[in-house]
Formats: sequence, C-alpha cells, structure tokens
Amino acid sequence: MSDLGKKLASIAFDELGADYLLAMREEHGNVAPVMLARGQDPGEIRLDVPYQLVNILSNIYPWLKDGKVAVVTRRCDEKALEEFFKRELFDPRRILKIGLACSKEQVAKCRCSDPVPAKTHIGEPQKAMEKDELSEKLMAMPPEERLRFWAYQFKKCNKCFACTLTCPVCFCDECILEEKTFVPEPGIPPGMSFHLIRAYHLADKCIECGECERSCPAEIPLLTLRKLLAKDVKEIFGFAPGDRKTVSPLLTVLEEGCNEC
Amino acid sequence: MSDFNPTILAFCCNWCSYAGADLAGVSRLQMPPNVHVVRVMCSASVKGEYILKAISQGVDGVLVLGCHIGDCHYMTGNHRTAKRIPVVQKLLKDVGFDERRVRLDWVSAAEGEKFQRVITEFVEEIKGLGPNPVREVMS
Repeated sequence: MSDLGKKLASIAFDELGADYLLAMREEHGNVAPVMLARGQDPGEIRLDVPYQLVNILSNIYPWLKDGKVAVVTRRCDEKALEEFFKRELFDPRRILKIGLACSKEQVAKCRCSDPVPAKTHIGEPQKAMEKDELSEKLMAMPPEERLRFWAYQFKKCNKCFACTLTCPVCFCDECILEEKTFVPEPGIPPGMSFHLIRAYHLADKCIECGECERSCPAEIPLLTLRKLLAKDVKEIFGFAPGDRKTVSPLLTVLEEGCNEC
Repeated sequence: MSDFNPTILAFCCNWCSYAGADLAGVSRLQMPPNVHVVRVMCSASVKGEYILKAISQGVDGVLVLGCHIGDCHYMTGNHRTAKRIPVVQKLLKDVGFDERRVRLDWVSAAEGEKFQRVITEFVEEIKGLGPNPVREVMS
C-alpha cells in the first residue's frame, strides 16, 4: 500500500466518513479511475493524472443505491459538481469532496484562472494563470485570419465525439450533435456547425477543465474556444458557471422593460 | 460588389413580425428580394443552433425578428431571445465571423414600414460586408 493511497483512504473513510472512494489508480502501467469500498487496498493511487472523475461519477451514480462517495476533486471538478447539484442530478449530501490543489505544471497546462478548491486536503495551492496566450493572440488577429485558423483546426476534426463523451457538463439525454438536422451524418470533417453548436451549448456551463482539449486526438485547441466564449458571457451577463446558487442568464428574463408580467 | 446578391434568412415571430411583414406586403412597400422569411411561433423558438447552422452553411446573414419587449404573446419569450442572440454573436466573433451578420430587432404587427426599413438596412449592410467567407475557408 503506497503512502498516497493510505493518506487518501484515511481522509475519505476516517475523516469524511465516506463509504466509497473514487480516485485514479495505476495498474500494470495504466492509469484508470477506480471505485474503492471501505477497507479495500487502494494500491498505487495517482493524483498527477488530470481526469474528470465527475464524469465517471455521473455514469455510476444511478446504480449507487445508498452510501456516500468521496471524490478527488480539483477546482474544476468542484465546479462541475455544482452544476450537477444545480440541476438536481446528484444529492449533495451523498457526495463528499477531497480537495486537490493542482500542481504548477498542471495549472500552466490548463491556463487555469481558478485552480484552488474551496477546501484543500492534498497539495499546495498554486497561483492562478492570468491569461491564455493563444486566445490573446487570436483576438489580436484580423477576423479573416482568425477564421482561417479555426477553419484549419476544425478541418482536423474526425468527429470521434471524445469531447462530448469526456465532458463532465454534457448531460443532455439526447445529444443535438447526433441529430442529422444539425450535423449531417456522413462526412468527415463534420463542418463548422458541429463545433459552433457545441461551444454555444456549453456557453453557460463550461467549467474550463480542459478535458475536451486533452482527449481530442486531433489536438484542436478547444479549451481556448471555451475560454473565449466564457469571457464573453462574463462580460455580457457577469455570470460564471460553477455555483449552485446562480441561475444561467440564458434561462432568466430581462430585468427591465416588461411592465405587464 | 454591386452584383453580389446576399442570401438572408429572417426568422419572424408569428404574432408580431410575420404580421408586420404581411402588412408591409399588403401596403406594397418595396424591399430587396434577398430575404427568405421563416415563420416561427415565437422568436424564442429560434435556437442558437439554427443561426449557427445557417451561418456555417454559407448563409450571408440571419435576422431574428420578434415582438417588442413586453408585447410577447408568451409573456417573456422574447426576453430569452434578447439574452441568447448576444451570445451567438460573440461566439461568431470569436471564431472570426463578423457579428453584424446576425441581427436581432423588434417589429410589431403594426410596423410594416419598420419591417421594410430593417430589411433594407440589413441587406445593405450585408452587401457591404461581402459574401459569407465560410465556403471559401472550409473548402
């Protein structure tokens, strides 16, 4: 039993009083998510591999009849969980959070502007990155050049749907991207509408975890596109996702102007 | 660019703007023939996806017309539209389209002349912007 596994298990089962622990574990040289019950050997727990465990949790949650689950959560997982709580998909009393502060390298990789969880159990809190170089470079370009850049990127897409499958906040029952009205079935690359519709769908709920970018086999800078739109939504409405108390501005009415209702 | 004839999609809400368009037609107001009118029950039923699909398939401009704020047949339908369209515009701007290609305006059933004015202005604006670059860059 490794030290890290022991420490994590003691936090989850003794400190927080959980029944299960969801974390990443290394087995035979591969790292995969694992669900541990109380008393099981945690093995080689790995915390340096970024993965949205909330995504795994959303898959197994319907089968979990009872018991509390402790999840290793970075700040982005935490925000994703808030989005789940907001939509009442999870019971907040059954999910316990083990706060993990990202390492400096990880923060740099995600260009993360909000890396510190509400309560840190493991890791040293790091400073946030103020800016995303690529998005600044893009916005300084003339629009035609920017369009050419994105067209080149979108043409690399082979429509594998990895970005939607790994996305923690993609929880529609029926995916609009699988409807041929919006994205025609034959044809790779799928064209611009695929990416634009996906970006628009995530406008009020993307928590900028970067999982889409990490999982993309064509290495399209999807996180940059999300960051650009998140900045716009923040500018227009002053809204940022990741808080269960706030309501998406796209679902509310205007404050001024309506005298009759 | 005088020979460029833009293709423009106009989503008109059933209760105000479509009636406004009807009035403009009945009053024989002259306007450019580039506009394809799509009748929808409410401007809020125009999903962002429709606009994004239209633009990414090469439509030169999209107009969304609804009732004035406060006059919506469904009380607060057009509030949603008013919040949705800026996000779509910003997204288009982020990937390099001109955000003026999408426009939201309010036309009531009595405003045939405003309908004519909006259409004429929008067509002129799109003529100034030139054809939608998506066909060229995605081919």
